[in-house]
Amino acid sequence: MADAPANLSYRQSHMTDETISTERPRRGFFAGASAQIGLFAIVALLWVIFSTLAPGFTSPINLFGIGRSLAVDIVIGFSQMVVLATGGMNLAVGSIGVCAVMLTGFLLQDAGVPIPVALAGGLLLGGALGWLNGFAIVKTGVNAFIITLASASLFLGAMLILSKAVPYNTLPPEIGQFGRMRLWGYVSPLIFIAIAIGAALYVLYRHTLLGRQILAAGANPRAAEMSGVPVGRVIIISHTLSGLLAATAGIMLVARLGAAMPSVGGEDWLLPSFLGPVLGGTLLAGGSVAVIGTMIGAALVTTIRSGLLVLQVGNFWLQLFLGLILLAAVMADRYRGVFLERRSLGRR
Amino acid sequence: MQLSIESVSKAFPGVQALDKVSFELRPGEIHALMGENGAGKSTLIKIITGLYRPDDGRVTIDGQEVSFQSPRDAIAAGIGAVHQERNLIPRFSVGENILLERLPTRNGLLDKDAIHNEARRYLDLLDRGIDTHTEVRSLSVAQMQIVEIAKALSLETKCLLMDEPTASITEHETEALFTLLKRLRDEGASIVFVSHKLEEVFAIADRVTVLRDGKNAALGEPMSTMTRQKLISLMVGREEHIVNKPQRTVETGTVLEARGLKTSFGHRDISFLLKRGEILGLYGLVGAGRSELARAIVGAAPVTGGEVLVKGKAADIRNVHQALNQFRIGYISEDRKNEGLILTHTIRENIAVTIWRRLAGALGLIRPSAELDAVMPYVQRLEIRAPSVEQKVGNLSGGNQQKVSVAKWLAANVEILIIDEPTVGIDIKTKAYLHELIHEIAAGGTSVLLISSDMPEMVSLADRILVMHDMRLVGEVANDRRYETVSNAIMNRIHAVEEERSTAATG
Amino acid sequence: MNSLLRRFLMVEWSGILAAIILGSALLAWLSPAFLTEFNIYVMLRSFCVALLVGFAQMVTLAVGQMNISVGALGGLVAVLAGGMMEKLGVPMILAIPAAIAIGALCGLLNGVLTERTGINGFIITLATASAFTGINLGITQSIPFYNMPPGLVAFGSDRFFAFPYLMIAPIIATVLLGLFLSRTVPGRHLLAVGGNPHAAELSGISRGRITILAHTLSGTLAACAAILAVAQLGSAQPTIGSDWLLLSFAAPIIGGAALTGGHVSVLGTTLAVILIALIENGMVLAKVDPYWVQFVLGALILAAVWLNRWRAVKTGTD
Repeated sequence: MADAPANLSYRQSHMTDETISTERPRRGFFAGASAQIGLFAIVALLWVIFSTLAPGFTSPINLFGIGRSLAVDIVIGFSQMVVLATGGMNLAVGSIGVCAVMLTGFLLQDAGVPIPVALAGGLLLGGALGWLNGFAIVKTGVNAFIITLASASLFLGAMLILSKAVPYNTLPPEIGQFGRMRLWGYVSPLIFIAIAIGAALYVLYRHTLLGRQILAAGANPRAAEMSGVPVGRVIIISHTLSGLLAATAGIMLVARLGAAMPSVGGEDWLLPSFLGPVLGGTLLAGGSVAVIGTMIGAALVTTIRSGLLVLQVGNFWLQLFLGLILLAAVMADRYRGVFLERRSLGRR
Repeated sequence: MQLSIESVSKAFPGVQALDKVSFELRPGEIHALMGENGAGKSTLIKIITGLYRPDDGRVTIDGQEVSFQSPRDAIAAGIGAVHQERNLIPRFSVGENILLERLPTRNGLLDKDAIHNEARRYLDLLDRGIDTHTEVRSLSVAQMQIVEIAKALSLETKCLLMDEPTASITEHETEALFTLLKRLRDEGASIVFVSHKLEEVFAIADRVTVLRDGKNAALGEPMSTMTRQKLISLMVGREEHIVNKPQRTVETGTVLEARGLKTSFGHRDISFLLKRGEILGLYGLVGAGRSELARAIVGAAPVTGGEVLVKGKAADIRNVHQALNQFRIGYISEDRKNEGLILTHTIRENIAVTIWRRLAGALGLIRPSAELDAVMPYVQRLEIRAPSVEQKVGNLSGGNQQKVSVAKWLAANVEILIIDEPTVGIDIKTKAYLHELIHEIAAGGTSVLLISSDMPEMVSLADRILVMHDMRLVGEVANDRRYETVSNAIMNRIHAVEEERSTAATG
Repeated sequence: MNSLLRRFLMVEWSGILAAIILGSALLAWLSPAFLTEFNIYVMLRSFCVALLVGFAQMVTLAVGQMNISVGALGGLVAVLAGGMMEKLGVPMILAIPAAIAIGALCGLLNGVLTERTGINGFIITLATASAFTGINLGITQSIPFYNMPPGLVAFGSDRFFAFPYLMIAPIIATVLLGLFLSRTVPGRHLLAVGGNPHAAELSGISRGRITILAHTLSGTLAACAAILAVAQLGSAQPTIGSDWLLLSFAAPIIGGAALTGGHVSVLGTTLAVILIALIENGMVLAKVDPYWVQFVLGALILAAVWLNRWRAVKTGTD
């Protein structure tokens, strides 16, 4: 009660059974996570199916491959999730990612700077481009969709003009070695980077001032602004973070491929970037995030991609599957909501 | 038309909005529907207009049971409505808006002449000054309301439902509307009239149905048997009681000063002083520019000239964030749903939003237990009723929502609090409670700028009253708590300014 | 002079018109090839598909929705039309209407899914876009259908002086769409729902039906664009539509459409497409890197939204 102002006299309120008790509500780790449990069950089911149909699915080399792509997919999902939290979106994640990829490649191969400096350069560019998006959105007041649609084209165009679309193939060997590194025979260290980022984001949204402000600004920007939340700043920070994460995903991809290619990222990231967060239960309307859900959502995407590959179903049908899964997920979520509403009414 | 609602019920998650409510509308009558916010009025209206379907009960028209699936069905069944929310298409012309769902065509294409001639007929019943070709977005709020009413009239239905039709129009226009409604009634139309203003209900209604807590408190009582006190007691379950707070002497130190303030809304020459622990009233009619001034002071809208001084030092406040953290000024918005609260967040989060900065420790981490400790005293003190602090604010009643939006600014522990229309749409019990609270926080040394268009509220609470009219301060009235003299003094100031202007215009 | 300029800038499509005139004059002065009959024909031909793509997005913007699947839908329709004509030997006169009908159905599907589920149209059409592309690639394995009926190919390449016959289709579409939006009841209702969905619903307009109508129309227009693209290329490429997304938004938005719905401009969109065609043509004539087109288009959208914003602030409407 130290925070209570001195001028307030605490009248003993006559508590009715309707008034709120001081008892602290328990907030379990899985509170409100039923969607995520369902999603997890689907992923598990797919693993059973794929490993039964194709024994190669659980081979160490395939597990290693899944882990590597999963790590990248998770970070791509996060880069979208952090702007979805503000009620915006970032269609430029792929463009920012590839810009970071090519700058890192240039710094490593042509400029010959030390590896940490090159990586920092790539990340910095990602953050800077994200900041530009955020700045343009806040200053013009135009919605994030159109700004990032335009900037995606702008960034990609600029990258292609500057790089002439020539890949950087002769990077220092350490990069490729890191990408090929296997712990205990089948685990890629990249996955730990993704998990660490996930943990940091979890803490950010659950337990920090900035995280709370982001969610408040996402849920109702006007109310947040009128409550003293610096909404503009929060949106710019979120976009910067998104750019930074997109760059991280890009650099992880450089490690995986052992080269910096201008063909990665771009529009190819668009669908996966939304799939993870949306499957995981992040609302497009803003004001909510699902960090663990995004990771499971990304796992679903990676599993299907790898499973179809192992089953030798043409990669051509992958897109159809992903589209149908996204549709099924959003619709299932919708009808689950309707069901819950009915049930809560029935109880009365 | 004979419209009967027979013991209709409707529930939403967490609330029984209507519990076996009945309502009966006869041909050729004006039937007032009354009740406090949260009493179930708007739910009933939405059932009549086809937006909601009842869980239980019957709706009959001329003895035939009906079941509306959408507003289209209700309109087809002969029910026209003026809704409380603005329901016009900004980029369409007045004419198109009036005839929106049945635009006349010739050879498959719209017949523009027919649209404007037809719309003109209905608009002329109310106001000849509005051109049917104007785009709605360039009309004033009052003109838009007139267009809304014309739109409902144009349906030529035998049943007309008017939800707060006079909320934004002038007295003169209200009179014209009432004359028209009476004429329609005499021609046999059935009219449901919803209003908060008792005077209007007494002026126009034949019978009244009152809802309280989702139940019938009165069913079709003739107005001739009603008194003001009786109607209020039906609405609140007890009699209205306006208690005047005792007059106080205010401390001397000035905490907020405006010097010749100008804003982009058109405010000019705004100068006033707010002293420590004072309740300074800011009275004005709707549209006088009070909320806009408040927004400019807290930095939510640009100040274009003059200066604001906080504790004697010039303060350039550019956003609410700065107002709160640097100058300790808070603003409780009148627009709870859009500006005051985050409806999808919990009570805890809504109250704590102003103090997160203070709660955050190293690395910006917020401890959940510290947050709860900070929030609980206010939840208890304001007697916010909900199953838990983790309840979403969107599921609370209007009165409890307002308590949450007040609680969050009390928690912020600001020195200057601007309170904008704190009791609009609030039940009388909560209203009395909030009055008590405002008085109490001022007594504790917080300076309050109270914006209200509720005259009894103003007279009961304020120490001094500033009068605002058309973006200017036109006078200051000392408040001796004598309702007649104070309210007359205020209205005289406003009329005097109006008169000056008309003489200046003609001379 | 200043105030005259200001008033000119207030007209929505004024900026685009000025840019077109200025750009044409500049190109005519810099490059002698610009005003040749053949170059004008090339430019007009490239304008045809782009305009229909822009319209396909414009109708969804009008109702306050968006359609991420325009390109994927177009690609699917193109390969289905090509497949029907080449593999199944369906005559052109049947295959084309059938393919357009499939496009309309895909649009209808978008509309019904958005409407029935109440889920954001962005995410629904993102999903269907992926599904349409998947079917396209699954059927074709990325191999185009090359044997198109000569009549269709001729329609796509023949010309009357500088006027390509291909352009007949977009001209008809422009007139019909203009009439539809300004002078018919469903057209007005479409804009009403975009302008204020709640109000439209309370006025007795069926918001669901109108949303579905807009998506169906969008699908139909995208399908028409796809058929034109097949005619223009002389083959049914599975990649048709893959680069339409940006263009589809660029045209209506540069043309002054409100992103929030309820306001679009057929004339503005048309001028915007002319401007884009002009820029692309200028880049080709100047022999600059083709990547510049992408860069400039992005910059152009940003400039347009900024100008629209400025105008909104100046006129005090938001």
